[in-house]
Amino acid sequence: MSSRDTEPQSIVSGEVPSRSPSRLGRLSARFGRRAVTALIGLTIAFLLVPVLFTFAASFFENLTGILPSGGLTLQNWKLALGVAESQGAQRGLGGFWTFVAPDVLFVLTLPNGVEYVLRVPYDVTIQTPIPVALGFSVLLALLGVVVNLIVGVPIAYAVTRYTFPGRRLVNTFAILPIVPGIILGIAFLKTYPDLPSVVALVLGYSLLKIPYMVLAVQSSFESMDLRRIEESARSLGASWTTTFVRVIVPGAKQGIISGSIISWTLAAAEFNFSYIVYSRGPRPFSLFLFENISNNPFLRAAAAISIYFVIVAAVTALLNWVGENGFSVGGVQ
Amino acid sequence: MSTLQEYLLIDRVKESPLSRVIQPETERERERLRIAVLTVPFFLLAVFGALVPLVMMIRISVAEEFLRAVSGWTVEPYQHLFASIAAFLPVVGTEVSAMISPTGESVSPVYGRTIWNSLWFGALTTVSSVTLGVAVAHGLEKYELPRKGLLITLISFPISLPGIVAAFMMIVLFGRTGLLTNVLAVLSGIRPVTLQLTGQPAGTALAILGLYFGYLYSMIPRATLLLRGTYAEVNTAAEEAARSLGATPLQTFRYVTLPQIRPGIVGAVILTFRTALAIFGTVLVLKSLSVVTFRFDQLIKVGYELNIASALATLFFVFTLCFTFVGLRYTSAEVAR
Repeated sequence: MSSRDTEPQSIVSGEVPSRSPSRLGRLSARFGRRAVTALIGLTIAFLLVPVLFTFAASFFENLTGILPSGGLTLQNWKLALGVAESQGAQRGLGGFWTFVAPDVLFVLTLPNGVEYVLRVPYDVTIQTPIPVALGFSVLLALLGVVVNLIVGVPIAYAVTRYTFPGRRLVNTFAILPIVPGIILGIAFLKTYPDLPSVVALVLGYSLLKIPYMVLAVQSSFESMDLRRIEESARSLGASWTTTFVRVIVPGAKQGIISGSIISWTLAAAEFNFSYIVYSRGPRPFSLFLFENISNNPFLRAAAAISIYFVIVAAVTALLNWVGENGFSVGGVQ
Repeated sequence: MSTLQEYLLIDRVKESPLSRVIQPETERERERLRIAVLTVPFFLLAVFGALVPLVMMIRISVAEEFLRAVSGWTVEPYQHLFASIAAFLPVVGTEVSAMISPTGESVSPVYGRTIWNSLWFGALTTVSSVTLGVAVAHGLEKYELPRKGLLITLISFPISLPGIVAAFMMIVLFGRTGLLTNVLAVLSGIRPVTLQLTGQPAGTALAILGLYFGYLYSMIPRATLLLRGTYAEVNTAAEEAARSLGATPLQTFRYVTLPQIRPGIVGAVILTFRTALAIFGTVLVLKSLSVVTFRFDQLIKVGYELNIASALATLFFVFTLCFTFVGLRYTSAEVAR
């Protein structure tokens, strides 16, 4: 080892680093690659193992010791989905839509005072095992995506295609989630007091998830020669509107689809904002997840979360099919 | 108004710059109209989704009465907050607090402590996840790993999981019946209860360690993806030259790669720190450390102290906005690229 190894080496001073590798350098040459690869494996295990374990455990009857035990069962899933009625009043994902048929269907009063009453012979209760919250959240998130499309595609095009004063600032505000969900929730509390929770949630979701849409669509636009495409279409006689709707937008199909999928999933799972803002009406899915996590036995909570894992897995498969690496487009928050 | 005057008015409107945007005559004006049409939806969303609520929040933070109608002006919430922050200071805390506080007496340092907790815990988790993110992004970019697309998919999927689910994942790993807890218990022969990281009393070292991993679960994927963007722009020719001139991998990283990715690292630190400060669901489930976001929950759901919550949220928002923009400006790091 030369004596220069111990001296501070700085890139600023332009000093040339020692030529003969130190012990650390030799070690890194020997094991560095293996260590980093192992670190990647460890990271993926840290992220993935609890998910797989939760999913697997949700099908078992007991969980004591390291591994789940007892027979396989679907009971946890049924309880979480609200298909099976549990003891007590607790219900899974919003439980049932209950429809009680009216007792008296029809009353006919004749002029002489005689009444004919048509009665239902027995009480009819129709219980539809629909996970209301899940359906509701799917819808809420979908509305958010619609707003994101209307807002996100034009703004992404404007900042990619045109130069105008304030373009950089607009771009930053469009792709940076400026307001954290919980702060926006507090801000919403008194601003729109008469707005139903549904509208407030959709408005909030659209604002919180717009960066993902803009980022995805922008990356599509950036791979296109927008000016040339626009000029060709225009010179062939298409109006600007026609060009935008029938040439530009279809060209950015991949970004639009992956942006929609990502902002949909993130809106469906948005918790911080929903938790503060929600007051009445049907509940968003994330609040039921929270209720399951904080109140229910482990395995039932595992089943409730696994419902969401199934959605994420499906969405990830869809994203990969579209040509993305899962959620890697949504790298910013 | 007579017909004659109306015509005059319309003519005046027609000549104003606004009318040129609405009724363009030259190609340049048409382009301006297009830009306006394309950006209007975004401005509407930004105004009604963010600006109006935030202004309302700031208004409530200085309002005397807010339960029914918002009215009156007072700076008491801020006085209270700053007094509490001052009270947290060592040595001079009590006296400074008494000077600032609205009642003239020193107040409890609870907000000072919460803010301090948010800051140090956020900084710690940010440094950890960005360091890990550099290693992972480095490996993904430089090494010939099999099924790289799948690996990226697996590292990025937690972005879709809300904080409450990340917290549950920690219960799965480190709770009383947790995987790692049990493995450790079997190996060491100690009872799982003393080893578990989640479900411990708040503020204890074990509880905070559990929360630390919960934060990392959400932050590692984000940090890694931000750094992957940076790594994609590294000049590989320079690295190859360094290697062929005899530099070890470590020297190449230290003297060739690191200077290139430094702006990206600073950008990742800023954005990951923002994420760390804004994490809420994880703390709400694990209840291990009183951070600012957790305090919001107590302020709003337990005692309806909306004015204090709004003041704290305003401080929080202004702080993140400032360090994001100042940080990104001075590093000239391209955001999200």
